[in-house]
Amino acid sequence: MGIITIDKSDHLFWLGRYTERVHTTLKYFLKTADLMIDSDPDSYAVFCQKIGIADVYGSSENFKQHYPFDENDSNSIITSLHRAYDNAIVMRDYIGTETMAYIQLATDDIKNAEQSNSMIAALIFVIDHILAFWGCVNDMIDDEQIRNIIKLGQGMERLDLYLSLDNSVDDIKRAYQRMKGFLKKSGLRYDESILYTIDNMLSESEFDHDNVKKLLRNLIMQ
Amino acid sequence: MDDLIRNSETINQLLARYGVKFGIYKNGEFKEQLFPFDPIPRVIENGEFRYLEKGLKQRVDALNCFLSDIYGKKQIVKDGVIPEEFVFSAKGFLAPCDGVTPPKNIYSHISGIDLVQSKDDSWYVLEDNLRVPSGASYPMIARELQRRSAPDVFSDNSVLDNRNYAEWLKEVMDYVNTGGINVILSPGRYNAAFFEHSYFAEKTGAVLTTGKDIVCEGDTLYYIDYNGRKQRVGAVYRRISDEYLDPMTFYEESLIGIPHIFEAYRKGNVALLNAPGNGAADDKGIYYFVPKMIRYYLGEDAVLMNAPTYLPYYEKDMNYVLSHFDDLVIKDVAEAGGYGVVFGSSLTAEKKADFIALLKSKPRRFIAQEVIDFYDLDILNESGERTARKADLRAFVLTGSTTKVWPSGLTRFSRNPDSFIVNSSQGGGFKDTWVLSR
Repeated sequence: MGIITIDKSDHLFWLGRYTERVHTTLKYFLKTADLMIDSDPDSYAVFCQKIGIADVYGSSENFKQHYPFDENDSNSIITSLHRAYDNAIVMRDYIGTETMAYIQLATDDIKNAEQSNSMIAALIFVIDHILAFWGCVNDMIDDEQIRNIIKLGQGMERLDLYLSLDNSVDDIKRAYQRMKGFLKKSGLRYDESILYTIDNMLSESEFDHDNVKKLLRNLIMQ
Repeated sequence: MDDLIRNSETINQLLARYGVKFGIYKNGEFKEQLFPFDPIPRVIENGEFRYLEKGLKQRVDALNCFLSDIYGKKQIVKDGVIPEEFVFSAKGFLAPCDGVTPPKNIYSHISGIDLVQSKDDSWYVLEDNLRVPSGASYPMIARELQRRSAPDVFSDNSVLDNRNYAEWLKEVMDYVNTGGINVILSPGRYNAAFFEHSYFAEKTGAVLTTGKDIVCEGDTLYYIDYNGRKQRVGAVYRRISDEYLDPMTFYEESLIGIPHIFEAYRKGNVALLNAPGNGAADDKGIYYFVPKMIRYYLGEDAVLMNAPTYLPYYEKDMNYVLSHFDDLVIKDVAEAGGYGVVFGSSLTAEKKADFIALLKSKPRRFIAQEVIDFYDLDILNESGERTARKADLRAFVLTGSTTKVWPSGLTRFSRNPDSFIVNSSQGGGFKDTWVLSR
């Protein structure tokens, strides 16, 4: 393809971010839903607090009903999936119809899950299709820069969520190194001094997660 | 054929999977919906297709001659074949295009000609679409999926392959390209035909753009990449209407056009497919004159018939329309997409009186046509039973180094048993169109 404009790089980046948001938040949702069965019925409130969304759900039951499926909730998983679709559909010529189809299939899965008798279990099919999407990105998009920008978005979102969800330092470091690799290969302009600062922060045994998140917001230059 | 019917649901699911949708605005809200696909194809025998091909090539060649003439010497008007009121006062005639010759002198590169077949098997042209006709992508992708779902049907029937449309389109873009890349200019994600824009970009290798990343400098178009590097644009397959194409020349408040693109085109530095100003030739009023222009430019009789049409502009025709009002369908020449179509018999006495008053005060605004009893095609209804519905055929004619007729087309059908309106925006569905190789 060879030519990537600011607009298109933006769509590719956010396609990666939203798709990863669906993937990681869904995995955490499934983990939280399990905790709510018998260990900690209110763990959904901690989940909301960690990922920085208002607890508008009021009860664990409401959370289970709305967080994955509510199209009117701007923080819901289905809303993130719609945003991924919005970015994918305008990039059909770059990512291909086959790759795009997996975002559509994941959307169908989440809608089917809502109608299913076992709503939570049926959400696993969404993860299947998200993983298939990433497989397609790797396998079917020949242009390295396109792949790297999408994966940069994925890496950035994963790192941001790991920092929010207080994943282990090892997880965070791995996610950071991965993101940094894609950033360097993406061809996008970035602030080298921010990378230097984060490198230093992560070399300490303890670091302020919010500060890293703030720095990441200004890493890529438009 | 039973295999196709059996697998109908699978095909519709696969079409959804690949995002084969069209957008529609309802109550001010954008909705994407699936374009319902019916598995029973329209089948056209090879001999019949050769007849249609001959007529369609002739028609499109004449329309291209007409456009070249009216924006050039205007001989057809000077010779009194078409009254000037029908040319220069038509909404589609664009004064800025006067005197501009497009690359290779081609105006309509992609023409969508709507036909119907009457119950006596005669084909009639209903309208010519020479601006931004859409729809070829749907049968193209449906065929790909049907071949997978029922391969035996295709090995048992010799059906001409229709999946070459994108190659043909690329050939046309390359032929008129003035040097540089090909781009497809779309109004964006919320346009009704966005699926088609993005699908053609993928299949032709053209760059899909909404124009934001294109600039015109020194009367030349450039596509600007992330790092500010410029790449020249040689051909723009634009899927936006003339009036929005360039705010410096046409509708000045247009946000979706490219400033100064028209100047680049005027100077011959970029090809626009289709050329701006083509609306002067696909006006429903001009339609009446197409057989005359075929005779005038090509010295031939029209192979394909128009539906019997009357122009209230002529007193004799007005009298006929008034005395046969209930038997006719009246069309507003400025409308498209199935809108502005009134069946005389459907009006109440009061509405009929109002309409006739409007017709008399603005005779140039309307044409009247005999209602053709379309040949019904079988579709599968919601219970899976065959039932007959009105259907038309949009044939696609591509003009590059030669004029070629795509051996397929978009067959649209009405899902409403009482309706002749087949447009997707009004709930219609589509079928594949098979042209047999023998």
